[in-house]
Amino acid sequence: MKAKYINPFISASMNLFKEYLGLDVESGKPYVLVDPRSLDEVSGIIGLAGETTGSVVLSFSRDTAINIISKFAGHQYQALGSDVIDGVGELINIVAGNAKKDLLDYKIVISLPGVITGSDYRIHWPENVPVISVPFSSSSGNFTLNVSLRDAE
Amino acid sequence: MNFLIIDDSGVMRRIHKNILLDHKIDESNLFEAENGEIAVTIAKEKNIGLFLVDWNMPKLDGLKFVQIIRALPQYEDTPIIMITSEAAKYNVVDAISAGVTNYVVKPIKGDILWEKISRYIK
Repeated sequence: MKAKYINPFISASMNLFKEYLGLDVESGKPYVLVDPRSLDEVSGIIGLAGETTGSVVLSFSRDTAINIISKFAGHQYQALGSDVIDGVGELINIVAGNAKKDLLDYKIVISLPGVITGSDYRIHWPENVPVISVPFSSSSGNFTLNVSLRDAE
Repeated sequence: MNFLIIDDSGVMRRIHKNILLDHKIDESNLFEAENGEIAVTIAKEKNIGLFLVDWNMPKLDGLKFVQIIRALPQYEDTPIIMITSEAAKYNVVDAISAGVTNYVVKPIKGDILWEKISRYIK
């Protein structure tokens, strides 16, 4: 996967979590996700189609999802209910939509976001394309950004 | 003046609604829709003075909604603010071509969004 794919998503994530939400957040060194099923309990996923295709996922522990969506919505949630799940979908929608402005070489359409919860789920990543995972540490908990994209044939 | 907030995310509708309520807009003037299809129905029943519309929604997306609304004589000139995560230049061009009055990229702070909304309040 081309390195230029990943940076717009890191920038969009930093803008959302640091500049907008005001979290004390730092991104770590990207790595190849060896077991694509080893994501956290709450994952927001969005598909990209057009001149590049693939998927982008934000993955949170239950507590981190609740903490971050409480901050995002301006309302303190206590449990992983429909609003928190809805909010996680909105976060990945914002990251993917914002990243498009820096993917200047491609015309891309983003799908509607989806949110998966649980401990044993499988995401259908593009075949034969590595999933690059970027760890983020924040004052509301840790999470990962996961990207797998390739040029359309 | 009636406001119609159109977004498939209930959390986003709540955020936008709270911005309006914080600025003394009466709740009886606020209407919500979770997609463009429902929004068209509400727009035909109510006299909407300002639309706040998301782009990516199921059933009928924001862009198609704007095209339908602009074809209705009563809404030829009604302000429509598109509030979307879609940040690419070609998205902005498409939205303005469809008839959007103002284009705002999420995430946006409440005070900045209110500054844009307040320009259209009569």
